[in-house]
Amino acid sequence: MIQVNAIGDTCPIPVVKTKQAIQALGGAGVVQTLVDNEIAVQNLTKMAQQKGYGVTAQKLEERKFQVTMTVGENAANLHAEQETLCQPRPASGAEKTVVVIAAATMGAGDDALGKTLMKGFLYALGQQDRLPETILLYNGGAVLACEGSVSLEDLQSMEARGVEILTCGTCLNFYGLTEKLKVGGITNMYTIVEKMTQADRTIQP
Amino acid sequence: MREKKPTLIVTFDTTTAAMALEKFCMERRLPGRLIPVPREITAGCGLAWKAPPEDRKTLADAWTQAGLIWSDMRILLL
Repeated sequence: MIQVNAIGDTCPIPVVKTKQAIQALGGAGVVQTLVDNEIAVQNLTKMAQQKGYGVTAQKLEERKFQVTMTVGENAANLHAEQETLCQPRPASGAEKTVVVIAAATMGAGDDALGKTLMKGFLYALGQQDRLPETILLYNGGAVLACEGSVSLEDLQSMEARGVEILTCGTCLNFYGLTEKLKVGGITNMYTIVEKMTQADRTIQP
Repeated sequence: MREKKPTLIVTFDTTTAAMALEKFCMERRLPGRLIPVPREITAGCGLAWKAPPEDRKTLADAWTQAGLIWSDMRILLL
């Protein structure tokens, strides 16, 4: 039996080390791998099942799991290997959605129509079963979070239900609206970039 | 992680002051560029002019002559 210590190793190292150990077996045998997280257990189990190895997993203590793989004489590479997932795919209900409001209007063409459309969009957004995690407002969109905005109530209602609402401070300053912000907080470009790049999806009407 | 080097950072009280300075610099091909103000300076928001440290005097002289306003000028490792 070969024992593999992958405690403290980040994905995909536990799978890599285990595969190396299996190769070192040079045939039938047992490889026992220690990991410190459930995702690694899942990845190892999936890998073993794909290859037709026997596999069992056991939690020894908090942050210590043992995955035992049995390589048989006739273990064949039955399936093309699927990628190891280093992060679990979120269930679709848990996707992080960020809505980006980059203008006071929705679509290009007629501005009066665009304002009406944007008002309708923010209203409809608030009616959804699943609200976005964050709404970012910048440039022309910044006015929508300020005093006098026709969408203020819709935004405030979403904020009350847990949506994070962030408006670009540089933009508020530019439009002279810093003191007129009525919903959510002020943010900077670095946070805007982070929110967008770390989102599972961004929606921009 | 990219290497950090000494960088001239100039901050402003208002967005419009930053944008006016940028317009001036671009017209005269002065060194540097406008960036979101680095987090090393503030957790808040705003714009900053970023330029090589050796251009500090050239820029300060040109801006003073043109009557442009800025808030703070310092060298940071960025």
